[in-house]
Order: sequence, then structure tokens, then C-alpha cells
Amino acid sequence: MDLQSILLSLKAIVPEMILTATGCLVLLYDLLIPEENRGVHAGISAVGVITALFSVLWFGSERIEAFSGMLAQDTFGSFFTVVVLVSLLLTLMLSRSYNDWEGIQKGEFYALLLFSSVGMLVMAKATDMMTIFLGLELLSIPIYVLVGFDRKRLSSVEGALKYFLLGAFATGFLLYGMALLYAATGATSLSGIAAFAGKENVFGNTLFLAGTALLFVGFGFKVSLVPFHMWTPDAYQGAPTPVTAFMSAGPKAAAFAAVIRVLVVAFPESHPFLLKGLWVVAALTMTVGNVSALVQDDVKRMLAYSSIAHAGYVLVGLVSGDRLGGQAAMYYLFVYSLMNIGAFAIVMLLSEGEERGYAIENFRGVGFRYPVLGALMTVFLVSLGGIPPTAGFVGKFYLFSAAVKKGLILLTVIGVLNSAASVYYYLRVVVYMYMLPERAEEVRPRPVGVGVALALFIATVGVIALGIFPKGLLSFAESSILSIFLS
Amino acid sequence: MDSAVAFLTSKIPFLASLPFWVVAFLVMLVVALVILGFALTYEGIATYIERKVAADIQVRIGPNRVGPNGWFQFIADGVKLLMKEDLIPAKADKFLFVLAPYLVFVGSFAAFVVVPFGISLIAADLNIGVYYVMAVTSLVVIGILLAGWGSNNKWALLGGMRAAAQIVSYEVPVGMALLPAVILAGSLSLQEIIRSQGGYLGIFGWNIFHNPFTFFSFFLYFTAALAETNRTPFDIPEAESELVAGYHVEYSGIRFAFFFMAEYGDMFVVCALAAALYLGGWQVPFVDVSGLSPLLANLLSLGVFLAKVIALILVMMWVRWTLPRLRVDQLMRMSWKYLVPLTFVNVLGVSVWVLAFDGKGIPALVMSLLGR
Amino acid sequence: MQEYLPVLLLLAFAVVAATGFMVLSGLTGPKRFERGKEDPFECGMPLFSDARRRVTVKFYLVAILFLLFDLETAFLYPWAVLFRKLGLFGFIEMMVFILILVVGLVYAWKSGALEWQ
Repeated sequence: MDLQSILLSLKAIVPEMILTATGCLVLLYDLLIPEENRGVHAGISAVGVITALFSVLWFGSERIEAFSGMLAQDTFGSFFTVVVLVSLLLTLMLSRSYNDWEGIQKGEFYALLLFSSVGMLVMAKATDMMTIFLGLELLSIPIYVLVGFDRKRLSSVEGALKYFLLGAFATGFLLYGMALLYAATGATSLSGIAAFAGKENVFGNTLFLAGTALLFVGFGFKVSLVPFHMWTPDAYQGAPTPVTAFMSAGPKAAAFAAVIRVLVVAFPESHPFLLKGLWVVAALTMTVGNVSALVQDDVKRMLAYSSIAHAGYVLVGLVSGDRLGGQAAMYYLFVYSLMNIGAFAIVMLLSEGEERGYAIENFRGVGFRYPVLGALMTVFLVSLGGIPPTAGFVGKFYLFSAAVKKGLILLTVIGVLNSAASVYYYLRVVVYMYMLPERAEEVRPRPVGVGVALALFIATVGVIALGIFPKGLLSFAESSILSIFLS
Repeated sequence: MDSAVAFLTSKIPFLASLPFWVVAFLVMLVVALVILGFALTYEGIATYIERKVAADIQVRIGPNRVGPNGWFQFIADGVKLLMKEDLIPAKADKFLFVLAPYLVFVGSFAAFVVVPFGISLIAADLNIGVYYVMAVTSLVVIGILLAGWGSNNKWALLGGMRAAAQIVSYEVPVGMALLPAVILAGSLSLQEIIRSQGGYLGIFGWNIFHNPFTFFSFFLYFTAALAETNRTPFDIPEAESELVAGYHVEYSGIRFAFFFMAEYGDMFVVCALAAALYLGGWQVPFVDVSGLSPLLANLLSLGVFLAKVIALILVMMWVRWTLPRLRVDQLMRMSWKYLVPLTFVNVLGVSVWVLAFDGKGIPALVMSLLGR
Repeated sequence: MQEYLPVLLLLAFAVVAATGFMVLSGLTGPKRFERGKEDPFECGMPLFSDARRRVTVKFYLVAILFLLFDLETAFLYPWAVLFRKLGLFGFIEMMVFILILVVGLVYAWKSGALEWQ
């Protein structure tokens, strides 16, 4: 590596470097300031995130093969960088007030969020098994801590422990899969694996098949696909709500980025075989997620189950296995981050504290007493349910139409039926808000600060604007997916 | 290895008739035996010297009954320990209790393999020598921890935990303090590092006089290494006055002797490493050993190396009988708050120095100023 | 790999020798059973509780810190070997690495992880 290529490599990871520096700064600055001023870290972190976002725009997204092919900066990477950074920004806005309410205002919280995001960005850009793993670990470990951040609350610690144990197993699976793939192909780079799969008969190669299967089991844990979704409800419910919102958006997007890149770059030849398996998983994920969400009385838990179902929808796009499907999946991941964080934000506001839970009863009559909150919640829920004119509808429309074009009629039918079922439990909240009488002791929403208001504003505008004018984001997603198809 | 085999087969006709690997195996066997013998003898003598040093410092006479001036005391001690009853407490975890001394013993011996006794006197000149020593000596920690836990005794458990915490804490500064020598030599092989300290500069070719940072590094290393061997003033894990004997309180007879020998073995290894990395190892000042005949060169270098090591060991003993024991919080503070940051700075300083002066040390710079 | 053979051999030797000493000690040493002899030593007091108890969390903290910083030293060694060849570039790379770890050390220090109270 000469100096020129090193500088070029560094250019590919500018956002990561900015986030790391911000994280270190927050960590150190936290030691200098008194406890009551700690909210300022949210601001510092937000400045770092916005700088990172601008750096993505500034440096453009021409393709750079960085660090001897371990990492690649391309439009695909930029897309997911934007998704992660936007979710992170919204989360930061929510966490400042939330941490004050719950008494967990600490600098480490923000530093961990930033470090975890660095892992996500690395994962989105990784073109080698080693960097994927590095990114995944960097992503996961801070998240384990964040889930258990409210360490005085039992449910938080419980969620963290469950998430940590299962996550550690999943990481083991993933690493073992990578090791087997390396044994079979002699390469850790995605293109190296593709080259092997291109010339050998991989179907007779047990090592290769086992490695691939384990690899996808590992990924399945991270994006909570169905046989591997057990940790999701407890971890999501136990985690501080902004962390839950972030977990459902950032890490999921990053893990899907890695899955898409692996599928497209490393396994172009063995697609039909893999897609069969993913077909089944997608159908299961949608169904199990939705059916479990139907019976939940706690809105936070309901959203946790619904996030499983949404992972299934995104997977439908991947099963289509072509440009359209990938594009739709990416679009959906972006809008899903917006609407889910928005929904979690409202849920967070309408509670008397994490200990008391987020019962659906809290929503009784909210629509009349607090019309703005009610309206916003309705927008997010309608979008999550996939009803026009919201972005959620557009996303599902593109996902399912890509599947239909590929002839996956049965999967589409399952998906649409599931989507219809999900409308039931989303609209149930709306019914509580607008059609049921108020409770005697009403739940006062927590005071909405500037940060939360801004986050809600961004999420709402995003959900509606992307629903009405999806073209821009779709073409961004298209050029992104093309950037890895072509490379 | 190959050259040794070639030498032997040329001298002894009988060996030439055997296949190569048999001869090689025999050579290795002899080497292993010699090292084992050396280590055992040294450890015995070291205990005697330690008692004499202690006696001198405390104005006593020390052991003087067995043999002239008590010289055979260590043999008597060894025989005594060998013939003691071998006790295993009823409540102990038998497997761990038995396993622990083995680990400690083997871990401390394994380090002897890479000790460079002379210009060609080294059992295995591994290209990762320094690393290897650090790796195998950490076996001792596991042994100590197992001993503490396996004994099922409160003193032992506490001593074992303290020992483990202390050793791992000081492992970091030890590793960092060795780095400057590695940077200067550009190799982890101990022989390579020693060879880089030769030349016309005599003792000023040694790494310790290379620049101010390496000078400091040597003392940092020596301090941290003292703590790694669990010796006073860092002997909180076996502090007699509070923990009876720490992790080996339940051990008696030969098993106790293993722990004891391991401690002295560790001392030797630590001092050998200090001598090799910073004090020129077997380099004889102002004499180019490699120019002499092999026998003379080896004898001379062996003598010089042992002299350096023994001098350092004597310093260790002197420190032990002079300084009071540190408290446990002082101990931890010493490592994490002083040694670790200082070694960081040292590594930084040495690397800047190497960049700035193209790897030349102060003596070499002075000489070049004088026109040589 | 050939240079590791003496290492293996010496390890095997050490084990054999240790076992030999153990056996010798078993043959020569007395064997006299006595009540109380096999109890754990408690300064002469009768035993009143089991030794298998939990130890303070500080030890775990030290273990975690050790993992972190020992790994770091492990990473520094290959760099140190090649430092002269890498020159200024290697220096800057490693300074970034060390800087991040120093941030960690300062953080641990200030947040009191290094105190043993």
C-alpha cells in the first residue's frame, strides 16, 4: 500500500472516522462536566452525525476499493450510510429527553450509539468476510450494553442478557460459517467466493453448503428472521425506548446491507438454491411476526413483533433476487426506519415511565385530548400498515410488484394477506385513540422538547413526502443496487 | 540444530550410520536434559543465596550447618521436601489441586528454552522469542488461580485471586516495556536482539544506553517484572502476615517445592530477558566474541551472560529484603496509573527517536560527531 | 516449524520430571492419617464456612482491563518488528491506534475503574 492508496482508502471511511472521533470526544468530555449538564452530549453527537452526513454528500459516491479490497465505498454503501445516520440522528433527538425522564443521562449512552453506528457503516461497506464480521461485532457489542443501559430496571437487564447470549451464539454461527466458506473456497473476499462458486460445482461441496447455511443463520439472528427471532420481543421491550427505535432501524438496515451485498456479490451463481430457502424464511417471518403481534396488549411489544414481520417484507424483495427487488428492499428499509422511529417516539411520550409499561390502555382518547400526537401516531401506524398515501404503502407496493414480476405469486399472496392482518393491530391503536372513551386516570404525555418535536417532524414529513414523491429515493436506491451489480 | 548434528556426525563415526532424525532427536534430548538440570540446580542454589543475602542484610549468619558454610543446605532442603508427606485436603478439588503445580512448574521451565545463554548456546532460537516467553510465563497465572481455587481454602482463594489480578495487571507494562528493544532490533528473536547490541561501542552499544527512553524502559521493565514474579515489595498475594502463604497455603512437600522452584525460575527468566534485551545479553564488552574459537566464544559469552543475570537476581533479592510491602490498592495504582502510561510514553519516545535519528543511539551519534 | 521441536520436547520433559518427583515423593514420604490433618487450614480455628464464595467484582474489572490492554500490546509487537521498514507511515498508523486506547485508559481512569477501594 503506497501513500496514494492509503489516502484514497481513508477517503472511503470519512464518516466512520468522524463518528469515532465524536464518540471519543463525548466519552472524554463526559468526564469533565457535572452530571446535570450531560444532555449536551446529545447535541455534540448530533453535530458529529450531521457532519458525517454532509461528508457523505460532499465526497460523493464514486467507487473506491479501500484497504486492499476489504472495504468499498460505493453508492450502495452511501445509501445505507444515509439510512443509518438518519436513524441515529432521530434517535439522538429522542434520547436526550428520554434519558432525563428515566434518570439514565450518561455520556456513555451517546458514545455507545456512535460506536455502534460506526460498526453499521463498516458493515454496509464491507466487501470481505472479515470486515463484515468486524462491523457486526462493533455494531452488536455497544447495542448489548445499550439494551441493558437502564441497569436498575429488571426488564432492561433481562433483555440485555437474552440479547447478549443469543447474539453471541449468532456471532458464533456467523463466524463458523465464514470459516467453513474460507475452508471451501480459500477466500474471504466476497468476490473470491463468487469466483469459486462460478467455476466449481458448489452443490456437491458440503463445506460450501454448510458454510453458506451457517452464514445465513448468523445473519438471520441479526435481522431477526423467523426461526431466529426469539430474542427480539424481550430485547426490544426491555431496552430504553430510543434504543429500541434505533435497533429496529439502524442495525437492521446495516445487517440487511451486508446480506444484500453477500447475496449479490458472493452468490450470484447459487442464487436459485439460496432463494428457495429465503422464500420459506420470508413467508414464516411475515406470518409469525404478524400473528404474534395480533395478541399483544403492550404497544412497545406489539411494535417489536411487527418489526419481525417487516423484516419478512424486506426479505421478499431479496427473494425476488433482481434489481427491482433489491431497490424496493432498500427503499423500504429507509422508510421503515422513519415510520418505526416515529411510532416509537409517540409510544415513548405516552407512558408514565418505563416501569409502568406501554399498555394500549394508555392510548384511550388520546386522539381528542392531544390531537397532534394522535394524528402523528395515526400517520405512522397507517404507514406501517401499508395504506396509501404513505411511504409504507409505496414500499410494500414496490416489494410485492417486484415479487410478482419474478413470478413469486404465492409469496406475494402470503405477504399481502399478512399485510392485511397487520392492519388490524395497527388500527386497533387508532381505535383506542379515537373511538374508546377516556380512562378515569388519564396518562399525561411527557413534555415534548425541541429534540423530540424535531424528530417527530422529520419522521412525519419523511413518511408523507416519500409516500407522495418516492421517485428521488427510489432512483437513489436503484443506482445503489446497480453499483454493486456492476462491480 | 542442523549444524550441531553435522558437527557430531563428523566427529563420531558411529552417529553417522544413524538416520538424521535420530541424531537430531538425541541432540534435543541432551539439550533438554541439560536445561532441566541447569534450572533445577540454579533454583536450588538461588534459594541458598537468597537466605544468605537475607541473613547478611539482617545481620544474621544464615544457614551454616550443612556442609562448609552451609553450602549443601539446598540439597538438604530438597531431600526434606521430597520426603514429606503428600497431603491433599479432604475438601479440595482433587483434579485442580493436583494439576496446578504441574502448570506452574512447566510454565516456568518452558521459558528456559529460549534463554540465550551464549553465542550459540540456545535450545531454540525462535523467531518470536520475546513473545514466546510472555506467552508461556502466563501459564503460571492459570496454575496459581487453579491452586487458589482448588485448595478450597479462604486464604488460598484470596491469594490466588490477588496473584492473578496482580500478574495480569503487570503483564501490560511488562509487554510495553519490552517493545523499545524490539523496535530497535526489528526482531523478536532474542539472539537477533542481542546481536544488534554488539559492535565497537562496547557497553554503550547496549540498548539501555541507546537513548534516554530505553534507559528508562529498562527500569520500568525491571519494576514491572519484579511484580510479575510476586516478590516483595509486590508480594501481596502471599503476604505471610495477612494471608499465611497465599495460594499455596494448602500445599506441602514436593508440591509446595514446585511453586517455590517456579518462583525462582521466573526470577531467572525475567532477569535473563532484561539482560538480553537491554544489557547486551552475552555480548562481552569490547570483545568481538564471534571472532574467537567456538569453544572459547561460548564459554566467555556464557560466563558474561550468567554474570549479568545473577547480578540482576541479586538486585531482586536486595530489594526484597530492603523494601516494605505495598498495599493492594497501591499495587494496582502503581501498575495502571504509573507504569502503563509511562510505558506508553516510552514506546512513543523510542519510535520518535528512531524516526528522527534513523535508528542511531546517543553513543553512535556522539561517535559520528567525533568523526568515526 | 522444526525449531519448535526442542520446545515440545522440553515441555514433555518437564512434565515427565515433575511426575517423577511426585512419584518419588509418594514412595519416600510417610503416610499417616490423622483427624483434622485434611481440613483446610484456618489458622488453627475450627472451620466455620466453605471457601467457595464470591469474590469482589474488582477482580473482574481488572480482568477486563487486562484483556483490553494486553491485546493491544499483542498488536504492537508485529508493528514494532517492522517499525523501521514502515517509517513515518507506520508511526502515524500506530499513534492513531494508541490514541484510541489512551482515550480508553483516560476514560477508565476518570470513571474510577482503576481505583481499588
